[in-house]
Amino acid sequence: MTDSRTLAYINLYAVLGTLENLCELDSKAKEILAEMKKPVSVCFDVKGGPAATIKFTKNGCRMEDGKQPCDIYIPVASCEKFNGIIDGTVTPIPAKGFTKIGFLLKTFTALTDRLTELMKPTEEALKDPAFFDLSTTLMFYTISVALSQIGNQDAIGKASASYMLDGEISFLIKDGPAATLRVKDNHLITIKQKSAKPRAIMQFDNMQLANDLFNGKINAMECIGKGTVEIRGMLSMVDNMNRILDRVALYLA
Amino acid sequence: MSKFPEYKHDKSHEYFDRAIKVIPSGIYGHLGPAEGLWVPVSKWPFYSEKAQGTYFWDVDGNKYIDFMCAYGPNVLGYNDPDVDAAAMKQLKLGNCTTSPSKVMVECAENLVDTVASADWAFFCKNGSDTTTLAVMTARAHTHKKKIFFLKGFYHGDFQWAQKVDYPGILPEDVANNVVVPWFNLQALEEAYEACNGDVAGLIAQPYDHGNFKDNEVASTEYWQAVRKFCDDHGMVLIFDDVRAGFRLDLQGSDHYYGIKADLICFCKALANGYNMSALCGGEHMKGTVSGLTYTGSYWMSAVPFAASIACINKMKKLNTPKMFREMGTKLTDGFKAAAAEHGFDLVVSGEPALFYLRIANDDSLMLHQEWIAECVSRGLFLASHHNHFMNAAVTDEDIKKAIEIAEDAFSVVEKRHPELKG
Repeated sequence: MTDSRTLAYINLYAVLGTLENLCELDSKAKEILAEMKKPVSVCFDVKGGPAATIKFTKNGCRMEDGKQPCDIYIPVASCEKFNGIIDGTVTPIPAKGFTKIGFLLKTFTALTDRLTELMKPTEEALKDPAFFDLSTTLMFYTISVALSQIGNQDAIGKASASYMLDGEISFLIKDGPAATLRVKDNHLITIKQKSAKPRAIMQFDNMQLANDLFNGKINAMECIGKGTVEIRGMLSMVDNMNRILDRVALYLA
Repeated sequence: MSKFPEYKHDKSHEYFDRAIKVIPSGIYGHLGPAEGLWVPVSKWPFYSEKAQGTYFWDVDGNKYIDFMCAYGPNVLGYNDPDVDAAAMKQLKLGNCTTSPSKVMVECAENLVDTVASADWAFFCKNGSDTTTLAVMTARAHTHKKKIFFLKGFYHGDFQWAQKVDYPGILPEDVANNVVVPWFNLQALEEAYEACNGDVAGLIAQPYDHGNFKDNEVASTEYWQAVRKFCDDHGMVLIFDDVRAGFRLDLQGSDHYYGIKADLICFCKALANGYNMSALCGGEHMKGTVSGLTYTGSYWMSAVPFAASIACINKMKKLNTPKMFREMGTKLTDGFKAAAAEHGFDLVVSGEPALFYLRIANDDSLMLHQEWIAECVSRGLFLASHHNHFMNAAVTDEDIKKAIEIAEDAFSVVEKRHPELKG
């Protein structure tokens, strides 16, 4: 079972949040941004759900939590409606920023289309090593942020988070991207950088292995046995994170 | 330079590669790399070749002093001659037969004579079989729904005993589980009130031996107060003695803490590795258990019953609980001293017969994991985050050697971490 409110949090912070990494790492995204004349900020404000503001410049984008001063304000009537916007079945209607509608229709849409291309890749596209690495990296960041959203919002995920001790879990791919899951009073926050002092570590041996795991092609228990998924430290934290990870697949499927 | 050379595990890995093709996760459960928390896996053996006394040999021919004892069943030593002789004798007479063997009656009588709170014994195979039966019995006896668990509980892996976030578990499976903290009678009262009294019983291990934390032993006063609480509220008190049973007290861990449980579950040390478990209880519970529908294909096999009689009688003869307390104390005192020599703060907790270890120099347990791994890869089999088990085949020589390996492993970890000296 999934719930639409948790999915809305994942869609905003984890999926749209990955635009930050896309704009930083992808040359095609950089080309799209290069055409911007001046900075534009877009706020999604979901009734009964999350709110965040994404600030775009020529050099990249950054998501800030909550309703911030913005150029384009998009109030969304419900979590279900917002999830519809993300899966393309609902058209977003701004309440403010009609003069900037071109940004939404052109730049923003081009970026989200590119994100979709990388997050839901074809087998053919994955044959290109650079595309493969970028796709896996973006998937990694999306999953990392989805972990904390599920731990904070989903009823079963909250049960897993309730067993977690305070501290940081380092979640990373060897020679690849790294994230930190910070736990404080059973509340989870994802930071998209390596932990300086982790209390527990979960490391995937390489990009291919991580991609295969994310796509359910190989089994995590076997990988732990083979040592290709390394776990260390306060393993009860990793154990509970894994239970949330199970639910990430359910929400992002 | 390390005094004890590191083992290699090439054949173990070969078997594991074969295993993962035909067995889910290669070795599932607590004996495997994932649940067994082998950090890093390269330091651990995967499969054994043979065992004797307190030792086992892996498929690469490496020899281990084993303080996990197959996670409990090895209580007298692997291949104990007296237990094996009794089992083999029964095997020739018959094992899994249409009419159960008379040895089943003798085994039940032996348990009733041994366990202080037992007026009867109901036999199964695994610990989970008995904890499940105990919970069913409590509900049938009281016609009430909720079961109290103590925080950090482990009562096997059947659905009702897992947690809501475990794969394959429905919220409905665990909807009637109420978790209360250890050593807090006020919390028991409050939880009972919150359930409007619809509580069938309380299930608990004799003391708090949860993983990833120091074990906390209980007191007689605590258990007497819980006993009174259950009596006052018409709740069935279930002692899950699967793990600690016969290692603290041959009359049962409830006896050790000065009470009589209504129901008590045994497994691991019951038959020195022969596969059986037993739920025992007071006369007042016998009628309820008799009325339950609960059986299994191999639950009345005769060989384990013969083994159990021989095992319990030998444990009585040796007074194993006293032996385990003394040996466990000697061993862990040696570990602590070796740790201190190398600048490590090794915390030993729990009962000496089931000692739990933790290096307290860091809060991540990474140093502890390094030390355990270096012990294992030099022939001292310990677990990273689980209590250990003593067995009666351990000698003073074995303890001396175990301490030497532990000391050697501390020296290896110390050299790897010069920053600890600062």
